[in-house]
Amino acid sequence: MVSQKITCIILLVLSTVAILACLIADFEAWIVYAVAIFGIPTWVLSLGLLTMAKPKPEDEEERVKEPFTGY
Amino acid sequence: MNLMANILINVIIAFLAGSLLLGLHRKVMARVQKRPGPPIVQHLIHSLKFFFKETAIPKTVSRVFYIGIVFILALIWIVGVIVGPVAHDSLLILFGVYAVYKIVEHNSGSSSGSPYGKLSCVRAVLSAATELPLFASIVFVYLITGTMNIGEIIAYQSAHGPLIFSIPLAALMFFMLIITKSPYSPFAITKDKALISGFETEHFGFLRGFMLFSESIAWYVMLWVFLTIFFGPLSAVGYLIGMVAISFITGFINAATPLLSPNHSVMTQITIGAICFFGTVLMIFTGVVA
Repeated sequence: MVSQKITCIILLVLSTVAILACLIADFEAWIVYAVAIFGIPTWVLSLGLLTMAKPKPEDEEERVKEPFTGY
Repeated sequence: MNLMANILINVIIAFLAGSLLLGLHRKVMARVQKRPGPPIVQHLIHSLKFFFKETAIPKTVSRVFYIGIVFILALIWIVGVIVGPVAHDSLLILFGVYAVYKIVEHNSGSSSGSPYGKLSCVRAVLSAATELPLFASIVFVYLITGTMNIGEIIAYQSAHGPLIFSIPLAALMFFMLIITKSPYSPFAITKDKALISGFETEHFGFLRGFMLFSESIAWYVMLWVFLTIFFGPLSAVGYLIGMVAISFITGFINAATPLLSPNHSVMTQITIGAICFFGTVLMIFTGVVA
């Protein structure tokens, strides 16, 4: 879980920097497309994995064992 | 305008407009079924709410795949936004985006380890029947306009009039794809309620929110492409009216039509596709289409 958090922070920082760099400077179109295609989903995914609520430690086993909750 | 700013604005518009249109779609369905239904903004609120919901990764899933497939879903529809509204590029890339979407449906179900997801994953293969009419529709657009480039198709239509009047059956084939991808569609065999939420069953909490985010963008992109390649150059108001009208029509159809069984769904899609295909070929050879 700790490694996931660290990975998410690194990805969030990298994608934010890449997107901001493309907003500030004028790169070639293919570079901007590549940053948008990979950067935007990475930004949302890493931010989401950081902000999502986690189950309490005592409930965690129950959550991962019986996951058919749908919503 | 800066290219990245243009992309970001279009992605945000696609998400907001797509969410509201899906909310409208649900509202229309509810009213047809004599229910009050949720507010139109509910789909948008729903998507955002899930970002903060408790999320756990089930033991049965293939972890990297389970998260990665949600990432790929967002990635392909951002490609859709770039190729469509931003760059007016090739229709073939959009066809590729749709083909990868089928793979996402398939793999999202198989990565979950859930029997519902796996059954939905198998049905995703069957539902590829929608891609044949879509491909045929794109081929007819190419035969008439001589190009796959969306910008050039728009230019062709501004000189010769909207393609909906020259190849209406090809437009009908594309419209069938839109019906298929609309929520609660008679052809939505991958999301049959007998399968809970189909390939999305095991993706809950934040990951579901992320999927809803991508699906809102997908709905916007599909409507945008349909309106652009068959109704010619449109203003922002024209797109708005067109998207609301299509969401309204599909909502009405879906509310009034039960979900078909997988074999009936595939046969219906192929039959409608074949009739439209041969009808358009006939129109071309008899000179109805110039």
